[in-house]
Amino acid sequence: MRRAVISGAGVVSPFGVGLQPLLDALAAGRAAVGPIRSFDASHFPVRVAGEVPLSTIAPAWLAGKLAGFGPADLLVHDLERDGSLRDRKVPFALLAAAEAWRAAGCGPAEQHASLSIAIGLEQAFLEDFAPIWREGAIDWTAQAAASLPFVRFRSPVDLAARSVRQLLELRGLAVIHASACAAGGLAVAHAAALVERGESDVVVCGGTDSMVNPLGIGGLARIGAPSPRNEPDACRPFDRRRDGLAIGEGAAMFVVEDERRAEARGATALARVLGWGSTQDGYRATTPRPDGAAARRAMELALSRAGLSPAEVGYVNAHGTGTPLNDPAEARAIRGAFGAQAERIPVSSIKGAVGHLMSASGAIELASCLLAFQRDLLPGTAHHREPDPDCPLPVIGEQPRHATIDVALSNSFGFGGQNVCLALGHPGGRK
Amino acid sequence: MSDAVAIVGAGAVSAYGVGWRGLGKSLVKLAVAPSVELAASHPGVLCSSVSEVPSRLDAGDARARKLMSRAARLGAIAMREALVDAGFHDRREEIGAWMGVGASGVAMQDVPCILAESVREGALSLEKLGERGIAACNPLFTFQTLNNFSLCHGAILEGLGGPNGAFFSRGAGTVTALAEAVHSLLEGDCDRAVAGGADTALHPITWAELVRDGFANRGLMPGEGAAVLALCRRSERPLALLRSVAAVPEGGDIASLTLPSHADLVVLAPWGAPARALLSDLAASRCSACRTIDVSLTLGDSLAAAPPLAWVAALDLLKSGETALVLSAGVDGCIGSVVLRQGGP
Repeated sequence: MRRAVISGAGVVSPFGVGLQPLLDALAAGRAAVGPIRSFDASHFPVRVAGEVPLSTIAPAWLAGKLAGFGPADLLVHDLERDGSLRDRKVPFALLAAAEAWRAAGCGPAEQHASLSIAIGLEQAFLEDFAPIWREGAIDWTAQAAASLPFVRFRSPVDLAARSVRQLLELRGLAVIHASACAAGGLAVAHAAALVERGESDVVVCGGTDSMVNPLGIGGLARIGAPSPRNEPDACRPFDRRRDGLAIGEGAAMFVVEDERRAEARGATALARVLGWGSTQDGYRATTPRPDGAAARRAMELALSRAGLSPAEVGYVNAHGTGTPLNDPAEARAIRGAFGAQAERIPVSSIKGAVGHLMSASGAIELASCLLAFQRDLLPGTAHHREPDPDCPLPVIGEQPRHATIDVALSNSFGFGGQNVCLALGHPGGRK
Repeated sequence: MSDAVAIVGAGAVSAYGVGWRGLGKSLVKLAVAPSVELAASHPGVLCSSVSEVPSRLDAGDARARKLMSRAARLGAIAMREALVDAGFHDRREEIGAWMGVGASGVAMQDVPCILAESVREGALSLEKLGERGIAACNPLFTFQTLNNFSLCHGAILEGLGGPNGAFFSRGAGTVTALAEAVHSLLEGDCDRAVAGGADTALHPITWAELVRDGFANRGLMPGEGAAVLALCRRSERPLALLRSVAAVPEGGDIASLTLPSHADLVVLAPWGAPARALLSDLAASRCSACRTIDVSLTLGDSLAAAPPLAWVAALDLLKSGETALVLSAGVDGCIGSVVLRQGGP
């Protein structure tokens, strides 16, 4: 049987560019949610975010980071020319994919790889509408303005996927997961499925997203999802005082490949993808299922596919948004899936530290699980200080916890009720 | 994919109305679908649009529809029809669902509300946007932007709870959605599933993008719609068997597509003239004298919905013992192939 392993990882997070800055920060129990700097948010209802510390992304800097990839200069030039670097998730994806590709030691022999990537919504460029806003209406006939090189109205959904494919010169099929906050997890699960089925032996996968832009921040504020407090501890997962999420941005990309292939070419596995499960709440468009039944089933399916019992799980990386409704529903789901074991298995959420990366959240949270396998540390839950009786779980507090584990589970639940759970195994573990 | 799964129902909504039975026959007759102009934003552009849906066939209630983009609403209509057609009435929490979905399709009436409060002297003012522009739009606007809701609204309304995925599609993602449904059935993740796509190319921003990218000049007629297949691992009386599903990316090896040695029926879903020529050549390699129809001639290109509308058209036209080859070519450059056979293995 073919088994999928993660042989390379790359991250762009509010802690900076690279997997190690993320792991270092989580190991130190740091958090990165703070005032928005990439645009003037001072008049917006939400003014803090887990923002990647790159106020502007200079083309020359980006091209330098991507040096060594043949198409990099032309790609960055084209992205700059048509205004696409305004969509931050595109350069985030490129940086993370380049790091993962290099870390896995991939080269021309891997360029037949497929791509399985989670991407958020198009970024609407409201500023591009302004020139065709005439006398109280959009003048769509103003073709001269609409065809200006920098006028895009919005970035194409698949731009990041096309750009990664171009940078790495991939030839395989590109699959773009559009399953909201579950998409990152689903993208990695899909990659593992392609490898196990023998449809692909190498897949570049992960997620990228940024809603740290005027309409993204404004739209989420309009539905009341973010915390109304503009404080660094805006997101307090599983805490009795939680009052909403903190918006984050970034990317996490991986190379997932067949274990024997990775071994044969001398690549070091970072983790094994043991199993996954996806379900749908089928409940409401605006709220998660309160009993957590569908989320529970996603975890049970992941365990079943992996051939694991609850007792074999050493850590649960929760979706843990810090919203009033998500966290208790997830707590019920975890308790339902693990039974008596739920009293013992440490749970944490990194969203207090980095914010909610939306479509990329599942991917970066899988990356955070590598802390357990590389350093025997379980990430903490930033700003979790007052446990909530409605979330009766052994939640790890603000500092990471030392533990040696074989198996970690990671949950992601999306707007609209899509749920996914992945089981990762220690690369040297028994599973 | 080498094993077959059974198609036991379908649903569709297109310019010909709600329903898949008769869709293929209308296409064969080249019955003129009620093409209209994209009057609101781009007058003079002919398109293939879904006319008003009878309330008894519509998705959800008025409140639910406020949360829906156009594509999400069409997807939910097609999904319900497929479930009913298949008789999937019980244990719906076990049914899997995979959909190809398009770009965000937020109702455009909210955008002027935001702009009216946010534009100062021909430029966007972040101060005005933050203080008044955001508050001027309907809060439900945000839900309409979520493109996975073209899957989720249907799943919520119908109570589906199984494995699932939404794939962004300009053609390829919808073929992937069907392939994933088939794999999940064959691997035992679920016993029953729905798979399809829903989208509209009539959204003014989407159309502006297609114009910018040169597709309008090369013969793309914008369309909209949704189609969904209901599938199960085995059935005593399937409508057809799904024999293969495959896709190759732009520039990929078309020879790697699994095509039947012979097809009785070929259904093409090209985005426009160049893709039509490519697919015709590909079909000719398998079939020299078979019936061929091109759904794009009357239905245009409905992007994520184009391949599944072709699948259900084939289902409608397939006769006992026949094999159909359905080829799609999206604006993403992907070629998809689906092979159906009527009359059991």
